[in-house]
Amino acid sequence: MSISSISEVEFGVDLPVFEPDTSLETASKFATLVGWGGARFTDHEAARKEGLPGAMVPGILSQGYLVAMIHNWAPSAEVKSIDTVFRAAVIADEKHQITGVVTDINEDDKLVEIDITVANEKGETRVFGTASVQIP
Amino acid sequence: MDQDIETLRDEYLNQDFDEKSFDIDPDTTIEYARLCGETANRFLDKNDPDFQASPTFIASLSGGRSLPKGFPRFGIGMDAGKGVECFSPIKPGQAILGRTHLHDIYTKTGRSGRMVFTVSRIEFFDQAGTHLANADSRIVMREKAK
Repeated sequence: MSISSISEVEFGVDLPVFEPDTSLETASKFATLVGWGGARFTDHEAARKEGLPGAMVPGILSQGYLVAMIHNWAPSAEVKSIDTVFRAAVIADEKHQITGVVTDINEDDKLVEIDITVANEKGETRVFGTASVQIP
Repeated sequence: MDQDIETLRDEYLNQDFDEKSFDIDPDTTIEYARLCGETANRFLDKNDPDFQASPTFIASLSGGRSLPKGFPRFGIGMDAGKGVECFSPIKPGQAILGRTHLHDIYTKTGRSGRMVFTVSRIEFFDQAGTHLANADSRIVMREKAK
């Protein structure tokens, strides 16, 4: 269900699960776009030589997924702040899911607080954070 | 709080140590938004009346340096997280100014020893001086064993 007004938001509700495009191709294009074209974001084999389990999705791309997930749920939401903790690497070409839950609603200021998590297929949290968004 | 960290806080917090101008290119912000999975026209269509960069775009902008000159290196720095505060949308096609300061220094101690966290904040302003947004970079340094 797409949210268009704060009156439709319920405390404790789960946002629709979002499956981001964590392909190596996307991670690689993104890293190159922002000037981080190092092998750890573009090449699994080269990343393994650096001691990583595989090429990583840049942390700021994971942050971007979180905001896209919020806009997917509430298209008119304005993100006022988002704070993310990079707990472990998001490995490219592995499936991940983003989940979110509404943890606070301030109807006076039309602000909603959402806790968000990126987890891999084993259910291990890789990135988590909190966003504050304004919804008309 | 540890005395050495108190001293660093007194010496370094809230003092600008870098200033840099960034040209916000519309094609770059559109591609950034697309790769993140945004679908709204306000992020993807230059002709949308509300065209703007996606809120986290500023997290990709780096200043000339991430720590002040002379700041001690406790160990290898790792990216521990990012934060963004948005006060006004970033409109592509303009130049914005970023000023960087150290916003916080703190520690956590685990079984493997002390970890030192720094939060570098870039404050972004448009050409009229309007404060548009803040981008925080949290770096963790695991202290070398003594």
